[in-house]
Amino acid sequence: MLLSSVQNPRLLYLQSRLSHFNFRIKSSLHTSQTLTLTPSPPPPTSQILDIRKTLLSREKTAVELAGDYLTRIQRSDPKLKSFLYVSEESVLREAEELDRKIERNEEVGPLAGVYVGVKDNICTADMPSTAGSRILENYKPAYDATAVSKMRESGAIVVGKTNMDEFGMGSSTEASAYQVTANPWDLSRVPGGSSGGSASAVSARQCVVSLGSDTGGSVRQPASFCGVVGLKPTYGRVSRYGLVAYASSLDVIGCFGSSVSDTGILLNAISGHDRHDATSSRREVPDFTSQFISKDILDSKPLKGLRVGVIRETLDEGVDAEIVMSIRAAVSHLEELGCTVTEVSLPSFSLGLPAYYILASSESSSNLSRYDGVRYGNQCESEELNSLYENTRAHGFGSEVKRRILMGTYALSAGYYDAYYKRAQQVRTLVRKSFKSALDENDILISPAAPSAAYKIGEKKDDPLAMYAGDIMTVNVNLAGLPALVLPCGLVEGGPAGLPVGLQMIGAAFDEEKLLKVGHIFEQTLQDCCFVPPIAADN
Amino acid sequence: MGSRLMLIQSSLSIHTYRAMAGAVFASKPLSICRVQQKQQRRGVSGARSSLDPPDLTRLAQTARISLTPAEVEEFSPKIQQVVDWFGQLQNVDLQSIEPAIRADTEESNWRDDLPETFENREAIVAAVPNYEDSYIKVPKVLNKE
Repeated sequence: MLLSSVQNPRLLYLQSRLSHFNFRIKSSLHTSQTLTLTPSPPPPTSQILDIRKTLLSREKTAVELAGDYLTRIQRSDPKLKSFLYVSEESVLREAEELDRKIERNEEVGPLAGVYVGVKDNICTADMPSTAGSRILENYKPAYDATAVSKMRESGAIVVGKTNMDEFGMGSSTEASAYQVTANPWDLSRVPGGSSGGSASAVSARQCVVSLGSDTGGSVRQPASFCGVVGLKPTYGRVSRYGLVAYASSLDVIGCFGSSVSDTGILLNAISGHDRHDATSSRREVPDFTSQFISKDILDSKPLKGLRVGVIRETLDEGVDAEIVMSIRAAVSHLEELGCTVTEVSLPSFSLGLPAYYILASSESSSNLSRYDGVRYGNQCESEELNSLYENTRAHGFGSEVKRRILMGTYALSAGYYDAYYKRAQQVRTLVRKSFKSALDENDILISPAAPSAAYKIGEKKDDPLAMYAGDIMTVNVNLAGLPALVLPCGLVEGGPAGLPVGLQMIGAAFDEEKLLKVGHIFEQTLQDCCFVPPIAADN
Repeated sequence: MGSRLMLIQSSLSIHTYRAMAGAVFASKPLSICRVQQKQQRRGVSGARSSLDPPDLTRLAQTARISLTPAEVEEFSPKIQQVVDWFGQLQNVDLQSIEPAIRADTEESNWRDDLPETFENREAIVAAVPNYEDSYIKVPKVLNKE
């Protein structure tokens, strides 16, 4: 049965050993109707704001904090392998600079002293950026991605580059050419993908927040698997300049945090129009951080009048029963907060998955043609130019990447374009329209972020279709270009302390404000849930 | 490979399918989310795409990736399986639906067509594997007959 909450990992373990406890925790705002003896753990606070307070009050220095995080990484990363590259030298140098600024009472940015992990497909000029591939081994980009430079301007300190599925092609981080990242909740399980390293780093408290990328769910699914908050912004909200392109019409840069407020603060820092990205929106960026109301001043029904639509097709066969129960518990919680929750059907939902893979493979076959060993990356010595290309790519790319390039080449070939690529584009229109009409009737739509909790490493590695099937909850949102927030809503059985389950909230285009507001209230009022994995609690 | 895709047609152009992953690779049968149908299901038709199957050797040449015979043998069934799965889109009624290049387009975001010099040319040059005297070196090009 569903274990919808955990108070204390050790207590849970004991309980499950002694008997099969089956308790449903009905969460409520003001009273806790639980059968537990321990007090309800407090909801997550903003680590970003806590750090700011700590530094400005001189309670700790940035260098001391840097030491804490670097030590934690040193201790936990041999087991977790979240990072492909950690930059101790620049971390300490930037922390010292920040300390001097604070001593001089100079103004510091909103992300001052915040340690950030950056997915390795996002360019950082001073650190290698490999996109998880051997073809870009040791590649040092000539510039920072816009999202990175904006973060740095806000005072953030980049701790290192996180592990990922090669070029973003995967849902478990097992397709990295370098290493497999483990899930902090259970080291024998995957963290999700392709931003697995970014999710596990935040979950294990190796860094405060992190950047990932989301083309078909690569921020949202790992957020669900690792029990952290993951935000996919609207396509065009954050510049893609400096993001290694996988599928250009679908890629976005997204944020991970241990709380909704931290995720929103990070989004604030990286959003905005960029002249280097012709697809970035000129729309004004609201202050996302103004959505975060303190729990203490909330009304009893703070979300009264909010219309929530549960996507019926996401609670169907093929989704684990425990996941369905977690989502239904989340629905109860939303109703208690005053929401009106109804079921919504999106007829073209199941078509989105093959359409997504056609579009992503096709676009990636074009985007990855630039890796020819001529201007950057690893080069295979050859006698002749075509062999140079063929050998460099054969040696540099992993199997999944090769397969997707070949499938994409097929789908775009003369005579096949109409049958595959064009039809997938048409399905994209259908998906867009069906989301739009559902969001005309509802403020937000909700669904699970994945059909199961984190599975075991190696379980789906050899079956591409099984791996692709797990993306059913997330790809349609990319096709429609909409924003979505995933936050932990419960735990299911598995691993030493349970496995987290994420609730996905989908909003209308450019309506990240509403998602953050609802997500924050949901998170702050969720009782008896603590989403800190044992590996982080031990540190 | 052991996987079977069942494609079920309906006049509402809503499709259901179950993918059964081969027992060799998955520990339990897999079903991808089904869309509820209002009408009764009709017959079952095979899901092989009506187009020529992928010719891996030719595709590899087009994509400039050299494949070993072992890779061709390993990839062919996996790619065939995915391409068959793609085939279900051919049975959907998409007449008069406009293809969408991306989610939403705003008014023109074009900049002026004026050349700009990138400020960090040294880093770009430093990344070139084979660079000599301001030339990027590559091996000779052989004309293929």
